[in-house]
Amino acid sequence: MKQTKLLIAALILLLPSLLFAQQKQIKGKVSDETGTGIPDASVSVKGTTIAAITDAAGNFTISVPETIKKVELRITHIGFPEQLVTVSGNEVSITMQRTAKSLDEVIVVGYGTQKKRDITGAVATFNTENLDERPVPRVDQAMVGQMAGVRVKQTSGLPGRGFSVQVRGTGSIGANNEPLYVIDGFPLEVSRQNDNGGFSTGNPLDNLNTNDIESIQVLKDASAAAIYGSRGSNGVVLITTKKGRTGKAVISFNAYAGYNERVRKLDMLDAEGWIDRSIDIINTNWVKSGAGRTADQTTAQRKAILGTTSTNVNFMIDDRWLMPGHPGLTYVDWQDEFFRRGTVQNYQLAATGGNENVKYYISGNYFDQKGITYGVSNTSYSVRANVEVQASNKLKFGLNIAPTYSIINDPGVDGKDLETHIAASLAPVVESTAGLQTAVYPFINYAWAGSRVSPVERVKQMTGQNKLFRTLGTIFADYTIVKGLSLRSSINLDNADATRKTYVPFQVAQIAATRVPSGSLSGSKRLTFVNENTLSYIKTFKEKHNVSAVAGMSYNSFKFDNWSMTAGTYTTTDVTTLNASTNNTATSSETKNVLISYFGRVQYDYDNKYLLSASIRKDGSSKFGDNTKWGVFPAFSLGWRISEEKFMQSIEKISELKIRGSWGITGNNGYDGDYNHLALLSFANYSYGGVQASGQILNTTNFPNPDLSWEQSETINIGLDLGLFKNRIITSFDVYNKRNSDLLLRIPVPLASGFSSALTNIGEVVNKGWELEITTRNLVGKGLTWTTSVNLSHNTNKVEQLGPNNTPILFNGGFDIEHSILTVGEPMYSLYLVQEIGLLTTQDITNGYPRFGNEEAGDPKYLDANKDGKIDANDRVLSGHPNPDYIWGINNTFSYKGFDLGFLIQGQQGGKIYSMFGRAVDRTGQGSVDNALASYANRWRSPADDGKPGLTQKAASTFGRIKNTDWMYSSDYWRVRTITLGYNLGGLVKNKKVVSGARLYITAENMFGKDKYAGGWNPEAVNTSGEDYGSFPLSKGLVFGLNLTF
Amino acid sequence: MKTKFLFYIIILAALTACEKKLDQVPISQASAGNFYRNTADFEQAVNGIYQALHNIPNTYDYAVRQNELAEVRSDNIYSPGTSGVRDWLPINNFDKTLATNPNISGLWNDDFNGILRANTVLDKLSVELVPDNTTRDRMEGEARFFRAFYYFDLVRYVGKVPIFDHVATPTEALTIPRSPVVDVYTLIISDLQSAISKLPFTYPTTQKGKVTADAAKGILALVYLTRSGPNYGIEGPGLATTEYNQAITLLDEIINGNRYALQATYPAVFAYTNENNTEILFDMQSVDPGTTANAGLGTELPSWMYEGAYGQKFLGFAGGVDGDGPKVPSNSLRSSFEAADTRDDFSILPSYTDLNGNLQNRAQFIKFLDLTKKPLIRFNFAINYPILRYADVLLMKAEAILRGGTGTQADVDALVKRVRDRAGLTASVWTNVTLDQLLAERRREFMAEGKRWHDLVRTGKVLTAMAAFDASDDVANKMNAITPNDIIYPIPFNQLSISPGLYVQNPGY
Repeated sequence: MKQTKLLIAALILLLPSLLFAQQKQIKGKVSDETGTGIPDASVSVKGTTIAAITDAAGNFTISVPETIKKVELRITHIGFPEQLVTVSGNEVSITMQRTAKSLDEVIVVGYGTQKKRDITGAVATFNTENLDERPVPRVDQAMVGQMAGVRVKQTSGLPGRGFSVQVRGTGSIGANNEPLYVIDGFPLEVSRQNDNGGFSTGNPLDNLNTNDIESIQVLKDASAAAIYGSRGSNGVVLITTKKGRTGKAVISFNAYAGYNERVRKLDMLDAEGWIDRSIDIINTNWVKSGAGRTADQTTAQRKAILGTTSTNVNFMIDDRWLMPGHPGLTYVDWQDEFFRRGTVQNYQLAATGGNENVKYYISGNYFDQKGITYGVSNTSYSVRANVEVQASNKLKFGLNIAPTYSIINDPGVDGKDLETHIAASLAPVVESTAGLQTAVYPFINYAWAGSRVSPVERVKQMTGQNKLFRTLGTIFADYTIVKGLSLRSSINLDNADATRKTYVPFQVAQIAATRVPSGSLSGSKRLTFVNENTLSYIKTFKEKHNVSAVAGMSYNSFKFDNWSMTAGTYTTTDVTTLNASTNNTATSSETKNVLISYFGRVQYDYDNKYLLSASIRKDGSSKFGDNTKWGVFPAFSLGWRISEEKFMQSIEKISELKIRGSWGITGNNGYDGDYNHLALLSFANYSYGGVQASGQILNTTNFPNPDLSWEQSETINIGLDLGLFKNRIITSFDVYNKRNSDLLLRIPVPLASGFSSALTNIGEVVNKGWELEITTRNLVGKGLTWTTSVNLSHNTNKVEQLGPNNTPILFNGGFDIEHSILTVGEPMYSLYLVQEIGLLTTQDITNGYPRFGNEEAGDPKYLDANKDGKIDANDRVLSGHPNPDYIWGINNTFSYKGFDLGFLIQGQQGGKIYSMFGRAVDRTGQGSVDNALASYANRWRSPADDGKPGLTQKAASTFGRIKNTDWMYSSDYWRVRTITLGYNLGGLVKNKKVVSGARLYITAENMFGKDKYAGGWNPEAVNTSGEDYGSFPLSKGLVFGLNLTF
Repeated sequence: MKTKFLFYIIILAALTACEKKLDQVPISQASAGNFYRNTADFEQAVNGIYQALHNIPNTYDYAVRQNELAEVRSDNIYSPGTSGVRDWLPINNFDKTLATNPNISGLWNDDFNGILRANTVLDKLSVELVPDNTTRDRMEGEARFFRAFYYFDLVRYVGKVPIFDHVATPTEALTIPRSPVVDVYTLIISDLQSAISKLPFTYPTTQKGKVTADAAKGILALVYLTRSGPNYGIEGPGLATTEYNQAITLLDEIINGNRYALQATYPAVFAYTNENNTEILFDMQSVDPGTTANAGLGTELPSWMYEGAYGQKFLGFAGGVDGDGPKVPSNSLRSSFEAADTRDDFSILPSYTDLNGNLQNRAQFIKFLDLTKKPLIRFNFAINYPILRYADVLLMKAEAILRGGTGTQADVDALVKRVRDRAGLTASVWTNVTLDQLLAERRREFMAEGKRWHDLVRTGKVLTAMAAFDASDDVANKMNAITPNDIIYPIPFNQLSISPGLYVQNPGY
């Protein structure tokens, strides 16, 4: 004791200069609602730079100078709202409330942040908490079913494929309906989802590592999005990546691995069913092919009648079908052979930490997925470093950089004539000698099965390799001019280099005597450069007048280059690259646009009660006509926090009540092509005497239009936020009316002018709807906790005005007549179809019921809608609309002691899908060589079946085809998207110095669900002409994961 | 302080330098605003007019379309379909559902597209931009020829069409209805007459295949013959104008010009190695780019004529007509050949053995196919497609005389003899050739060249000939009986809805 006193005295003598003042030690513990300590929480003393970090058990010690009389501690941690605690003694216990939607939460809005309680527009916040503790390979996938009014569609199950995101329905007919993405302040446009479900210039979320995401906000109404001006009308998705935090380094390791398989199988005829149908068709063809020909004639008799010794597969069956055991033939279920069990694995290592001068977040991630069929895979490597440096108390600068590399293999499985389509429609019978090698060299096809090559061998042997090297980088500097006024300048660059290599070996090339290999190499470079300079001001006057303002300018350039080379004749079958080929074809093209903007916003509130916000943006774009390059986009909003009023203070049940209203105008510049306002020329070469002569012609899709400009969108939003029972129940309700006008619309022009359409600003679409979000903390406390979040949204979409005279515009005419219509008063792209109302009976024929072409009994009976006595394209009527009326999602999370359980159910109601895949598996006039839907087993076979309910049309029809309701299905579905069960091993970890936290979990994806889409795999599918033509199915699976913190 | 200064500089520099960047011009395309400056530019624009014969992206080029609309439709091909749904089956079967057929929209689209290209040149051409008179005249002649040529194609297939004699704005196009056939002919004839006066008779070797004054005369002769045909009570190509002597005058000018002659043998006319021969007055030029790109330079015609299974065995790439709707040369055509005739042996393959070893005894046209000259893909066959050849000039003259033009029966017999002799029929000499005999000879001479349907329509024989064909050849009983309304096709269904009431559909559809 004496020694100690001496020692202290000596220290005081020796090191007087190190001690500024007397210190007092404050010890404390930070824990969550369940009493579990929170490690790595940052604890700082308000008004000083003194800070500490909690240890693994949530304990901290902090030294405070005695001079500070009133000690206020600020505690922060990801996933919790910041807390301020006044400490009187030397010990403190702090409980952090883990509320998903805390009103004090600070969220990112365009060019700034705002407390959620002060928001006056419509902003959806996706709770990304623990996103790194779930197996989600893409950021858009994480957003599915999470936010009211935000529809995230998985249009294809192909690994790595971008999702389509729609905020509050679709308001544009011909231009983009996808939102603007802003990643750490860097605005990135996504091109319109193209007809085969892809994004032609890539997707800003490609290669973005989910584990690096800190938060996602979606700006839904004009007042929130108008600060993004001409790109705001489809909503804005703000994504913020993780930042470094003061304190000792925290290292986390997240890993998961699992398997996946197809969600379901398409119900096709089995081999017996296919044979039965083929016999039916072949006999019908035979009987009709001439007089004296009957179905009971044998193959030998038929050959005799035709005077031939060879087998004509159109008129003669394979006699082996009828033999017991079908000798020489093997029955195959192609879907079972085609799909496999895939695997998925992911490893991420991240470190974060820093001090007062430098903060960092760095991470590295490896992801690998083997798809649910052979040859389909996705491997990606990503690295991110977010570093912030406080150079002086006035100057801060930072660097975010994320280089990524991914390899997606897709031998061609998504869409028309590609392998998933073939796996469903290939005849399920093969020669036993070939088996699964049917039509693969050296085997030829089964004569009754068409010439398709085995899809199983095709996916195994073909190459379709997509490599993407993308670097997303931002540097910024932030300079505080005077207190409250700061200037920020950033330079952002997104460089994406994509290449695609394809190769088809001769063995699986289309069957022919001379099979040859084919191959190609193509690629693109996307370069987005953005420089933004903003001046921000924040100040409180007289304690109650809170003002913040921002003004800035932005320069944005987008350059897209692409090129492709196609092999001519390979001189060898051993080398897959194009040096082994002669007569290669090559082409390239480049396009560029520039956007220059000036913008500003003022936010004001009085005493946190009366809220006002106003913004304006002026955009100039190179994409539009000389007369109309510049557009102005204003917005304002008001809010009243009624719960802050005196008269409300007595109502204890209501903890928060706010009403909001907003108005604003945003724009949409997302039309494909950068030079639509100009008259362009196209190449049209001819030849004279065998020598090419170059030619150029007017591009007939582009009539020059110097007045071409943005689409305008005017939105009115009224919202209500309500918190009840100390915010145990938080609910938010919004009603909106969004009017898109001056649409970028290709109005049809008589083809006789030589032009097919003219792009003009004409037309109006209104989206109206409401959105409801409710979060309830059903059970809180130390034992079982249970939180539920429900989101439900309703949207209706109506065309209000079209081109000159409001003439309806027909769309989607591929493979026959148009089946979609734009017409005033109806939803966009309403289905416009001839109605199938049953089957024609022999009596109908006798009675002269109107028919399409040479229809016979057993063929479909169509409604003669215009009652002109014949069935044709004039009998099309409105039959439904593609967008659902309601979308919803329900999230439940439970925790009990170390266990946590969460599940997400999600779905939609009220939309229709028109399945072009029906053309491959359910077409009138479809021959016997393909397989058909299993419903053909139960079909009309003879006049005896006249009038029987529930029958499918007869197999052999020759009248042709007209687009009708047979391929239309309801797109309603519900799906249990994920179920995750986790267990926190924290309590079991002995040596906290090595491992401070650990959690194990298991996730089931897409395990349960139901839809009504019998004619395809995925009710949200899009590909080939904008409709489903055999899009790759979604997968379901189980994933096991581990989260470790060091 | 230094930092603050730096920020101001950045912002000022950005503001001043950037706004100019809003004037971006296309990088990979020319824009009409800065094209059409000189002779070289106009040469390219003129080449573009020719290219409308191929027009991509498009399923059918001019050659394929003639094969569908004038051969499948006629008694030369029987393709009723077994079970499939193929675009040409309703054409063969005289179905009433043709308004939505892709052949019809292709016809309308490509012809009017060609007319736009011609109008663009005619609108822009000026002495300032193309100072050389001969060159400018030739360009105007080419543009006028093609405007007439594409309008003639339209009027023969669909009758009345809207007249565009300049590049019209989209709004203007919405106000232009279908003009009476007689008005369309007025434009065609005046354009062709002007073309005859402006076009040269020959070109240097590097421009073989460009349109000549003789070609314009031949097409104008055909226009007169067509106009002179009966009108069947429909608004079709026939106006019963009896302008046979106008035709004869033009045909005589060609014959007496001595720039053209029959080839010694029939196969020589169509040989890949003998293109631009003396028999060809005008054709669709094709070249194989030698790559796997469909650049709109070659033709897909041969692959629209052979069967898929044949292609699989002999061509080695996708294409060919499916087994469910082969375009079989009809029995009535095949049985009309005399044994000594060399033309059917060259043009028709009676049967083949497929990859499965099965003998397929359906006949197919291989007239434009040379297996030693196959391209890498089916779109790129390098065979020129004859549109007007000397044999046609001779037989048109014979026809004009038989239909009442000035001339003797001996003239007719001599003209027909020249064609028959070349076919190897020297031993079988016809005298007192009748119109029916002449038509039968034309059928054999020009099979698969897109002439048969027009021949029948022009000479007033189409209703009887097709009724006879229906009775004799339609074993599948798929063909509907022909009516006068079937002589012309409908206009595309989707054009009716663009501005309701602007166009009225042809009767019967």
